[in-house]
Amino acid sequence: MQVTETSSEGLKRELQVVVGVDELNERFSARLSAMKDRVNLKGFRKGKVPVAHLKKVYGKAVMAEVLEEAVKETSVKALKDREERPAFQPAIALTEDQQEIEKIINGEADLAYSMTFEVIPDIQVTDLAKLQLERPVAEVVDADIEDALGQLLERNVAYEEEEGRAASAGDQINIDFVGKIDGEAFEGGSAEGVDLVLGQAQFIPGFEEGLTGAKAGDTPTLNISFPEDYPATHLAGKAAEFEVKVNKVSKPKQPEASDEFAQTLGIEDLAKLKELLRERITSEFGEASRLKLKRKLLDQLEKAHEFELPPSMVDREFDMIWGQLTRNLEQEGKTFEDEGKPEEEVRKEYRAIAERRVRLGLVIGEIGDKNKIDVTSDELRKALMEQARRYPGQEKFVYEYYEKTPGALNELRAPLFEDKVVDYILELAKPTEKVVTKEELLKPDEDEAVQS
Amino acid sequence: MMKLKAYDIILSPVITEKATLLSEANQVVFNVAKTANKPDIKAAVETLFGVKVKAVNTFVRKGKKKVFRGRTGVLSDTKKAIVTLEDGQSIDVTTGL
Repeated sequence: MQVTETSSEGLKRELQVVVGVDELNERFSARLSAMKDRVNLKGFRKGKVPVAHLKKVYGKAVMAEVLEEAVKETSVKALKDREERPAFQPAIALTEDQQEIEKIINGEADLAYSMTFEVIPDIQVTDLAKLQLERPVAEVVDADIEDALGQLLERNVAYEEEEGRAASAGDQINIDFVGKIDGEAFEGGSAEGVDLVLGQAQFIPGFEEGLTGAKAGDTPTLNISFPEDYPATHLAGKAAEFEVKVNKVSKPKQPEASDEFAQTLGIEDLAKLKELLRERITSEFGEASRLKLKRKLLDQLEKAHEFELPPSMVDREFDMIWGQLTRNLEQEGKTFEDEGKPEEEVRKEYRAIAERRVRLGLVIGEIGDKNKIDVTSDELRKALMEQARRYPGQEKFVYEYYEKTPGALNELRAPLFEDKVVDYILELAKPTEKVVTKEELLKPDEDEAVQS
Repeated sequence: MMKLKAYDIILSPVITEKATLLSEANQVVFNVAKTANKPDIKAAVETLFGVKVKAVNTFVRKGKKKVFRGRTGVLSDTKKAIVTLEDGQSIDVTTGL
């Protein structure tokens, strides 16, 4: 096998590989004699077929296999000998000339092919311990817990029936109603025993207002027009008459923050509830702080590593993002003009994102490789279970999907790997803690889209 | 009777273990027409393959009894010819005509 470099431009390499006839023929006969004991031909007992006969029957097929194998093996070997890592599977081009190919198959000519590929550049990982990182930390104060508790109370409003109460905004009323257009009841315009909370604009405008002040037993008739932009087109803009019967008027009653309230939620007492809330908020803050820290870390990593990127990788990443973006736009029925930016500009923006992703992907992969960070199957299984839990009732389908789709597990593995590497870097970089306010911590970063 | 054409006489080569063994003795085996005789076969082989024939031996393999779907039947008889070539001559039967 001889390898000659025909071109080397930036990260692009082109190699000419020649495998000699002798080497090919040697492989060929080795293969035939290996076959000899296995083939079953009519007129011959097993293993008694003469090699000459075998060669006549199977020669071409075997040679094709030998060639394929030779190409695969030598291309891998050529790369290994050069100690280069290709960004993608190298593109291998055999000669197009039919006669030439015929000759090679007949074992008369050398096998020659060219392979083109892009190499992954050598990445010099910076001293991770020298990264300047700050971990934003916010303290969970009592006010945060009170806030959360207040929200919880609001969500658990109970309604209590009250005789003779005139309905006002915020009250819940129970009604039967029949809607008519031109004296005829229309489909979907009638219902019985509907609970309606006033002032939340769940019904068409005018309906809820018309019921304000009503008492249990009232039978008001409302004349309302459907709005022009009502989704059901056959009703939009039509004047309708609703005959309403009010069954009940209930006033809202907010539960008090007490041990009983905690018990309705299945928690022992108020103190315990507060404890749980504190835990939740703490973990929320923790997540936010990690996210910010990670982002800063990635920013610094990107800045610290300047190297040429293999264009094919960037192209692929870009195509992926771009495809997703255009699909989204299509689904929403928009064009780039609607977004207020010319396509060119958007393209440039996303190109930068693609570059960042590829760069960070390479750097993180390199750091992981060098430090032998790997995702264990246990961790993968855990992630898989978590994923399955997100679709209650369909766990089996989720498992099946991951079992049957080959790339799917890798998709799960990638973020795990990234997280592990980030953990590793953080351990080395020893970020300093910085106390910030809650608002600052939860404020999203401006160019979130760039996040990899 | 009309004379048989060369292609009608020589039906197919026999490619079996035994036939390949015979090739070492410069002999080739063919399935031939039931009605062909030795001179016919000799002439046919000489015209078809352009070789010199030294001798022809023939035999008729009687049809075997076979049971197919519960009925007994008889396969038709086949005539085979073992053709011995002159020294230095050869036929590559596997490549066909």
